[in-house]
Amino acid sequence: MTSISARARLAALSIGAAMLVVATATAHHSILAKFDDTKPATVRGIVTLVDWTNPHAHIYVNVRDAKGGVTNWAVELESPLDLKASGWSEDTLHPGDGITVQGISARNGSRQIWARSVVVTATGREVFKVTHTPPPAPLSPRPVPKFADGVVRLGAMPGASGYWAYPSATALVEDGATVAMDPYGQLKNVADASKVAPMQPWALALYQARQRRFLQDDPTYINCKPPGGPRQFQQPFGVQFVEDRERQRIFTLIGGGNHNYRILYMDGRGQKGQVGGDDDNPLYYGRAVAKWDGGTLVVDTTGFNEDFWFTNGGLPHTDQLRLTERFTRSDFDTLKYEVTVSDPAAYTRDWKATWTLRWVGGEELPVYFCQDNRP
Amino acid sequence: MRTFVVALALSAVCAAGAPVMAQEGHPLKGSWIGTWAGNTVHGNDLFMVLDWNGKAITGTINPGQDNIAIKTATLNPEGWVLHFEAEGKDKAGAVVNYVVDGKIENLAMHNRTVTGTWKSQRGSGVFKITRQ
Repeated sequence: MTSISARARLAALSIGAAMLVVATATAHHSILAKFDDTKPATVRGIVTLVDWTNPHAHIYVNVRDAKGGVTNWAVELESPLDLKASGWSEDTLHPGDGITVQGISARNGSRQIWARSVVVTATGREVFKVTHTPPPAPLSPRPVPKFADGVVRLGAMPGASGYWAYPSATALVEDGATVAMDPYGQLKNVADASKVAPMQPWALALYQARQRRFLQDDPTYINCKPPGGPRQFQQPFGVQFVEDRERQRIFTLIGGGNHNYRILYMDGRGQKGQVGGDDDNPLYYGRAVAKWDGGTLVVDTTGFNEDFWFTNGGLPHTDQLRLTERFTRSDFDTLKYEVTVSDPAAYTRDWKATWTLRWVGGEELPVYFCQDNRP
Repeated sequence: MRTFVVALALSAVCAAGAPVMAQEGHPLKGSWIGTWAGNTVHGNDLFMVLDWNGKAITGTINPGQDNIAIKTATLNPEGWVLHFEAEGKDKAGAVVNYVVDGKIENLAMHNRTVTGTWKSQRGSGVFKITRQ
């Protein structure tokens, strides 16, 4: 029998660990990328395991068929973060519990079901139901918070916490267009694709191709790529502004994804790359220079790379993308976001989209790392 | 030595599973490597660098001393059909005109391919390039 030296075992272990990191950074999806909402299914069985892991929790269930055989099914749920926010935990169910699951079937015919309801057989109680409810609106609008010099605060007051979430739109659509889509940006009808934005023919065809594959190729999900551009403000777990006035910059942090940050430079610099930095190195978040125009922060961003999708739903962009974003805190609890998209290599003209975000006070950003996703 | 071999082997496996750089913009943009089989003038191996400036596809074949400029290139998104024409020279300096027609396969993949045919006044054959 051949023995392996300690050093070799160490090398193998460390490389194996590196492989694991690579593996766990992959694989997530919009629901319809994996499941078919035209194929309802019901599963009744006995819980064998509750797997409380990003991006989506799973319940494994033993199901007895008509011939007495037993097969194991995977029941997919919302993310552990959403489940926890709705009051559930991995102890909500235990191995041995009987449950009935209603949902939709996996597209590939495997024994997987996306749960729309999970009911405990013994009690009739529905569990793991997730409600995405924004904080209640105050009875009357609260005044916009400001620094001592009168400049609007986009972040929390000193000693307080909070972030922006619950965007009124979760995918980028040109203002004035009415297009039905799900929260992931999946069109109800791919034939509506041309209504979303004024795309060049190649960009429209690429967008349609992504839609027909139910967004399963989204690099933000499958490779944990940063959600650059306006997508940063349509994330399920919110965005936070950290205003560093001493260094004349604002950091925007996202509550999901890979927790990268974007810097908005407020020091008057132009759109000039930094030698040894981003001068010849396009970025996921681009190079953003910002200034106040009255009560509105105006941000000009260029220098994007082409390694990510800049919108939920997969609208294409090129390295010619330029964004002009306008942030207006219209009252304490409301942030208006306007973005003008200029990308002459992908679109036939400049176009604009607008939505609002809600203030979530008294809380820090949710902690969700796409690096934790299961393979 | 055994340590090195184990580490090297596992590194290779690890690299194979690593996420690759995507190219999510124009599907033709980037570097491509492949073959145009039977090309006795410029050889079987083929390197291409393609770009999209918003109005036209531009690029070069075999960038280097004997590079071949792409004169015209079009991509029909309906079916992702590519057509390009290029003008090179043989070793004696005679002009060789190429016409290449192909189709993008595996559009969603970073390592998508274009397969088709090539022809010139000096021959013809099949063509396949893969995006790097």
